[in-house]
Amino acid sequence: MAHVKVVRRSMRPEEWTDLRFVWLQRGIYKDKTEITDLEIRDARQVAENTYDFCYGGWRKLSKGDLYFTPDGTCFIRGHARVPEAYKGQEIYLVLHTAAEMIVKINGKYAGGIDPNRERILLNPFLTSDDLTIEIEAYNRSKPDDERNPAAADSRGCRQIFEGAYFAVIRQNVQSLVYDYTLFLDIAKSDYFNEDYQKFLNRELSKALDFIDFDTWEGVDEAADYVRRVIYGNTDFHGSGNVAVVGHSHLDIAYYWRRIHAVQKNARTVLIQMRLMDRYPELRYTHTSAYTYETLEKYYPDLFAELKEKIASGQFEPVGAMYVEPDCNIPAAESLIRQCLYGQQYFRKAFGKTIDNAWLPDVFGNSWILPQILKKSGVDYFVSNKMSTWNDTNRFPHNNFIWKGIDGTEVYACVPPTHFISWNMPSQIQENWEAYQDKETGGQTLSMFGYGDGGSGVTEEMMEMYRRFDRVSVMPKVEMTGGAEFLHRNLKDNNDLAVWDGELYLEMHRGTFTTKSALKKANRDLEYKLREAELLCAADFCGGADYPAQELRELYKKLLLNQFHDILPGSHIHPVYEDAMRDYADIADRLDAILAPYAQEAPYFNSLNFTRTFPTFLEEESGEIVRHGKRGRWAIPQIPGLSAGVPLDAPGLPGWISVSGEAETLCVETPYYRAHLEKDGSFSSLTDLGLDREWVKKGCGFNRLHIYADHPGMYDAWDILPNYKDVEIPLAIAEPLHLSRQDDSSAEFTVSFRTERSAWKMVIRFFAASPAIEVENIVDWDEKHRLAKVNFGADVLTREMLCDTSAGFIRRSLTKNTSWEQARFECCHHKWFDLSESGAGIAVINEGKYGVGLEGDEVSLSLLRATIRPDITSDMGHHDICYVILPHSGNAVEAGVNRAAFEYNVPLRRAGVKIPQVLADVLDDCGLFLQAMKRSEEGTKIVLRLSEQDGARGKISFPFPVTVMNMLEDPEGETQTVSFTPFEILTLGIDPARLS
Amino acid sequence: MEEYIRTVLAPRISGDGGWVEYVSYENQKLTLVFRGECSKCIILNRCTDWIAQMIRNDLGEDVTVVPIRKKPYFWDNH
Repeated sequence: MAHVKVVRRSMRPEEWTDLRFVWLQRGIYKDKTEITDLEIRDARQVAENTYDFCYGGWRKLSKGDLYFTPDGTCFIRGHARVPEAYKGQEIYLVLHTAAEMIVKINGKYAGGIDPNRERILLNPFLTSDDLTIEIEAYNRSKPDDERNPAAADSRGCRQIFEGAYFAVIRQNVQSLVYDYTLFLDIAKSDYFNEDYQKFLNRELSKALDFIDFDTWEGVDEAADYVRRVIYGNTDFHGSGNVAVVGHSHLDIAYYWRRIHAVQKNARTVLIQMRLMDRYPELRYTHTSAYTYETLEKYYPDLFAELKEKIASGQFEPVGAMYVEPDCNIPAAESLIRQCLYGQQYFRKAFGKTIDNAWLPDVFGNSWILPQILKKSGVDYFVSNKMSTWNDTNRFPHNNFIWKGIDGTEVYACVPPTHFISWNMPSQIQENWEAYQDKETGGQTLSMFGYGDGGSGVTEEMMEMYRRFDRVSVMPKVEMTGGAEFLHRNLKDNNDLAVWDGELYLEMHRGTFTTKSALKKANRDLEYKLREAELLCAADFCGGADYPAQELRELYKKLLLNQFHDILPGSHIHPVYEDAMRDYADIADRLDAILAPYAQEAPYFNSLNFTRTFPTFLEEESGEIVRHGKRGRWAIPQIPGLSAGVPLDAPGLPGWISVSGEAETLCVETPYYRAHLEKDGSFSSLTDLGLDREWVKKGCGFNRLHIYADHPGMYDAWDILPNYKDVEIPLAIAEPLHLSRQDDSSAEFTVSFRTERSAWKMVIRFFAASPAIEVENIVDWDEKHRLAKVNFGADVLTREMLCDTSAGFIRRSLTKNTSWEQARFECCHHKWFDLSESGAGIAVINEGKYGVGLEGDEVSLSLLRATIRPDITSDMGHHDICYVILPHSGNAVEAGVNRAAFEYNVPLRRAGVKIPQVLADVLDDCGLFLQAMKRSEEGTKIVLRLSEQDGARGKISFPFPVTVMNMLEDPEGETQTVSFTPFEILTLGIDPARLS
Repeated sequence: MEEYIRTVLAPRISGDGGWVEYVSYENQKLTLVFRGECSKCIILNRCTDWIAQMIRNDLGEDVTVVPIRKKPYFWDNH
């Protein structure tokens, strides 16, 4: 039987309604009068609120003119007289633009204009018939994820000025437009009752029949019909209880530089405050101490007004941290400082300690966070991505308790829907339906407001909110504050489920690796800051000044660059240049602090245990080249927190023998008999001490792989599970050969070439250490590539231990469940370890974070070559070192973590004396000295001690010490401090006790 | 011309998420490759007009810009 598809060519009733809705929207403006006395001046922003005006002076700006230039800013000014006919009405400035503008009227901040809002109410700012207009205008809107894709098409560096107007509106038309926006959204949504939708489609059409779209007669009758018939219908019922909170996500850097975020933030704050004037019920949440700092510095008038809105409870600072950092890569001390400096600002500026972490957009959250939050005055944690972006599994909770690595619990909210929404009924209903803790969690949280580049709540969103309680099919919707929501629904809620583990995001797995140089610099500077603070604090004990302000500024600069689109590498090229410039500045200024300590000084071991791991000392006379610098290897043997002369790595004539054929070199050292293939991989590594093999038969071990890497539009962010499908052949330019040898170490070198890149791998054996170091010297010029080094270890284990920077996490190597399958690429810090009873093997890195958990071969991710957002990402020179460390016992017994610290903390010259009593207590005390600094209030020495082996114990001082939280608030005094597995302690000591 | 594109204009275009590379300059015809956000910009002609204007102002030369769009694979779907 023939099948004939029925195609409806005539207009459906719903389409007739849609068409007339467009006409209705056109009728909003009753009258417009063009403002013609406008001038424009082009500029280019060169620093925070600093401009280069070399592109000419003021020129006339008329409708139809091109304005804005690439990476450009412009200033617009003008004068106008209010049309006589408009007096007595609400008068608006209307300016339709794809750009972002802060508008001053008669010298006062009147509002903001951007792609999401085109008009500003002028009446509050009119002092006479004449007015002056001043506009700061930027053209850096977010390029993707817009509500209206058609709006994205008008984006571009050069815009056509569509004119500026005085306008008056038809209030009744505007109100009816909001009614139709609401009901059409319900009528077109999959989340509402079909019978109700049929009812809406019929009645919405009928109401429009009252209107003459030429004369605008009948609007009031239509509105009355909608009120009586549609709002009045109570035959259909919704369910649910949704708390809505105004919010605007602001990426401090992304498709714009951080210098541009200052204006984005000010515009957002201004818009929200003006909206609060009109909608007093608006509750708006805004994160990051840094954004408040910049507002206070550059927009003091707005900041003064903001303080009033905060005092009134309408505007709510949320998120205790300095910025919204990446929560995978920063080390524990960085995350603590995010809280310390964030809370310090909020206390000083607003007299508040923020009790929530508000991190809607971060790419997963480390297991170490709950303890850090709790000890920083933060009881609640909010982060959205696991619920809305996971690519494999649905995260099972929305309102729950998150239990951290040390057992600390915080209340957690992973809202069911995206942190950017526009408060449409369908989004509210979707949130309720997706909410998984309906029985236990109380209300569900829906954030509304445009974001990423700021912007926030609009008038339309507020008008939707005002209508919700009149619509019978809607859930109960309540505007609330962020903290209020958390307190009301989570606090003391004994029914909440517990999630005990990291909050892994099943997406954005590439961000552990993208932009290798950022990660390396961040790691180096974390330790360099530690060193500088420690030396200065030691000096402070002896009565010297402590450069508190300089150190705090440098820390804040590092924290700023840990923002979740900077350190992860997901940004345009100028953001990368800014970050590297910042890192260089931090390094230079730390060198200036450290330099006086280094003059004619012995080497100082800042670790609180004896260094025994091979350590490279840079010396111009050295014969070994590592990281492009000459030096020598030493086995320092310097006790913790003490100075000394590092011993040369012990020499042992004839300690190494090399034999073999072209394909395989057989190398024998006091520790190993190794078979090295011509590509630098090990086909065998026999441990002579343990009498066992470390390489799994048939697997590559230390084998370099380059894979085709095409994750799609989220290029910088993602690695796909099928990344191994296409491997790029690596040509060996020079096979592995013995390239250098002396009595204490030996180097084997292999060189590879691709069409455009050169890769040299140097493998180092030591006469007096089982460590095997591998250095990769790379000139990288690839696109869509992922470089990994694989380790097929002959270790029977189902788990990998990964360093988190404050303890280790056990990650499953099996692929039995979809949760395990999704975690094919994870974040680790300085090391990972594969052990079975009695022995194991660790790989220690000095700036890598991505680790692959795939089958029999785990892998360390080395480099990527992504093109979006930065086409040059990772191009250029890299020098990447790691150590392969077979060991007896498990990772804790073998001291893998200690070795990793030694490998990452350079031994430097420093003429400083740690108070002996302190050195005695801390040396080998079972805790790692994570930080030693002067207290923020200036009178104490603060010690941060971190248990990282999963053990418990006690540490005793010969005098009372102050137990503190991480904000350095005193919580008690004691001489003996007990600690539990993975606990981080903060202790304050009176320097007088140390003299 | 190549240095001017690389050092003056390219940094500005990269500031908006775009990318431009010099290809050739012959007989007043300047051929440029546009990548990144530029590769899908529907108003790229306005940008190339601006490039020509900047070159006229800074280098005193009248050029015709010939743009070559190189879309990344994930946008190269029609």
